[in-house]
Amino acid sequence: MESPEPRQAATDLRAAHDDRGLHALRRAAQGRPVVGYIGCDTPVELIAAAGALPVRLAGRAGRDTTLARTYLDGCVDPQAVNILAAILTPQEHDAVPDQTPAPDQTPAPDLIVITHDCDASLQLFYTLRELRRIGAQTFPPVHFVDLLYLPGEPTRRHNLGRIRRFADQLAAWRGRAIDAAELAEAVADHDAARAARTELRRRRRAGALSGSEALRWYAAGTAMPAREYADTLTAALAGDTARPAGRAVFVSGSSHDTADVYDALEGDGWLVVGEDHDWGDGGDQPPIGEPTLEALTDHYTRAVLPTVARPPHRMADAIRDAVGGSGAHYVLTYCRQYDDAHRWGYPAQAAAAGVPAALLRDQPYAGIDLPDLSSQLLSQEARMAR
Amino acid sequence: MSDRTLSRPRLGAAGDALRHQREWFATLRGQAAQGRPFALVNADVPQELLRAMDVPYVVNQWWSSIISAKRMSGRYLEALRERGLPDDVEQYSALPLAEALSPRGDDAPWGGLPLPSVVIADCSGDSLRRMFQLWESELGVAFLPLESAAAEIVPANWWELMRHDWETAIGSPRIDLLQLELQGLVPRLEQLTGARFSPERLARIMALSNEQAEWNRRTRDLLASAPRCPVPVNDVIPAVMIPQWHRGTPWATAAAESLYREVSSLVAEGRAVVPRERRRLMWIGRGLWFDMDFYRSFEQSHGAVFVWSMYLALAADAYARYGDDPLRALAARFCAFRDQMYTPPWSVEWYTKEARTHRVDGVVHLISPDSRASWFTTHALRKAGIPVLEIRADNADGRSLDPAALHDQVARWIESLPDHT
Repeated sequence: MESPEPRQAATDLRAAHDDRGLHALRRAAQGRPVVGYIGCDTPVELIAAAGALPVRLAGRAGRDTTLARTYLDGCVDPQAVNILAAILTPQEHDAVPDQTPAPDQTPAPDLIVITHDCDASLQLFYTLRELRRIGAQTFPPVHFVDLLYLPGEPTRRHNLGRIRRFADQLAAWRGRAIDAAELAEAVADHDAARAARTELRRRRRAGALSGSEALRWYAAGTAMPAREYADTLTAALAGDTARPAGRAVFVSGSSHDTADVYDALEGDGWLVVGEDHDWGDGGDQPPIGEPTLEALTDHYTRAVLPTVARPPHRMADAIRDAVGGSGAHYVLTYCRQYDDAHRWGYPAQAAAAGVPAALLRDQPYAGIDLPDLSSQLLSQEARMAR
Repeated sequence: MSDRTLSRPRLGAAGDALRHQREWFATLRGQAAQGRPFALVNADVPQELLRAMDVPYVVNQWWSSIISAKRMSGRYLEALRERGLPDDVEQYSALPLAEALSPRGDDAPWGGLPLPSVVIADCSGDSLRRMFQLWESELGVAFLPLESAAAEIVPANWWELMRHDWETAIGSPRIDLLQLELQGLVPRLEQLTGARFSPERLARIMALSNEQAEWNRRTRDLLASAPRCPVPVNDVIPAVMIPQWHRGTPWATAAAESLYREVSSLVAEGRAVVPRERRRLMWIGRGLWFDMDFYRSFEQSHGAVFVWSMYLALAADAYARYGDDPLRALAARFCAFRDQMYTPPWSVEWYTKEARTHRVDGVVHLISPDSRASWFTTHALRKAGIPVLEIRADNADGRSLDPAALHDQVARWIESLPDHT
């Protein structure tokens, strides 16, 4: 594919973020399957090697979640509830209003894959499994990949078994085993995407991008074919970019699968210079390299740690390093309602940050309490200055 | 209604268990003061491994129930808040940590929990692992985590399969994982405690604990089939659960047998908690530790008796695992334990089965903040024609509920149920 010129590439990335069905629709029009996945640790290489486009399912502000909340009640991250709403009502198109394609043209995924990256994902899987069993709703087939994260050998062996099973399931689904050449191509494509993402992070740290634009560019990579994303992102990064001035803040805590919160922050005079959640900088991964199931297992067991699987002391060290590396003057630990695990590590993170730190808890999906943030950070800054 | 029935002394098995537990805890405190290592473990950690090493252990949730019953939860949770830690997340698991981080006072329940030598918990949910790591980072207590694996496909009728065909019920990968983890845990515990693991002892412990489960199954079946409920649920809970925390000992097995024999004779005598039993109720959810009298508060006014809590039913169905390899059987006992209570289809099909066999007229469904899949439980019961009242509160945190308001709410709901008289 010929690389687009930088401005067009940036436009393409933004379009892929704003309309996550855009590339899925193109694939579907070619008669090729689309797999919707949930979990930052999904072995997307296997999905791509099986000939499908992996698209990470995301929430959308304003989506009607009434039905989903009925089933996935209790303390479950509203991001997962929002995704369940999309699965249960696929006719509702996720594109920005007044843009094409028309609502009924977005394809539902041919298959849904969910991993055990956090409790909300697990509960979402259980909900879908039970809804299907009792015949309450219809939706595409769902596979669950139980990847776990303790550092010991038992976990790695368990994960190898789960990845082998997933490869077998994909083979059964499409009617043919994944061969070595297909896996090699998929690994190479996704490693190219990883390398481009790493460059994006470097450019962002060098002061070339706003946080909301960086997040859009990252997110685009989870809705586009990997090689096309690598080329497009590389092209976009070749252009001249600039970021606005703002109070530099590092964002920790809940993940952000849309740019709504970042837009709100940056509209309020903040500048998001880094984050540790897996939709942003925290999704950085080293290359897999070797195209084998064993290498995939090592990668998804050791190199891709979902946020909640990262030990607090490691998170605190990472915050200290990230504040230094990103030039952040503030740290925000943002916790969506019911996504409380981050709160257990907050005191250690705040102590390690060395800059004013704030905790926002019980935040709504895609929303943020900006007055509370300003109040916490600026008053703390004044105290530290005294 | 007979005053004799209502004022009857506490079930002998419950009184014996409570006495034993106090004595055992006092001994443990004394041994800990002398420097003997002990462990604090979550309820669904394979405690039999520690017993096979002769390492004493305290069950985290049991100790939470003691803190809660002594109405100390609010004060201890305050210690978490003062440190910037959550006081409103997984309180049932967090209370012992909160106590350990609180200033020591003379009024600590049962003299207070000494600082353990090691804590063990599985990584279910997102918070537990981080919470337990605080034992290590804040208090210097070693934390040994275990995975919490999940299955993609399970057969619904686990209670029929679990005793002998647990490989089919659970699936081998989850059992493989925990078995490997337990094999790795042994040398680590030996290093931390100086104790030694005995496979022969584990085999005996598994045999005794299976025998204990069989007694509990007989007791559960007896209570289900008895014409009227002969024992109050708040007596059954300690009579079952305290021996449960001593699972695999001769005392615990004898206690389970003693409970069966006592209940059996009460049924034979025709005893009833409520002589004119008008409504039979089921309590789904954890025990309301800070207000255990709640369970008996509708007997005189409404002729309503709680005939079921999950504690005896789990003791009857969820623990027995037979097999030639004790360590693998132990792994099978715990690698899917929570699913039996909380994960559909297992949870909903089991609750519905239990509601039917106990002939309940209605279910009070306590939905704790960390409860999962509660909609499916309520849906399945209502579909089976069983009325359900949902209550949302944390069972261990007395701040989360107004007892008087709860009583009024349940009373009004009971009045809406069919009356057998």
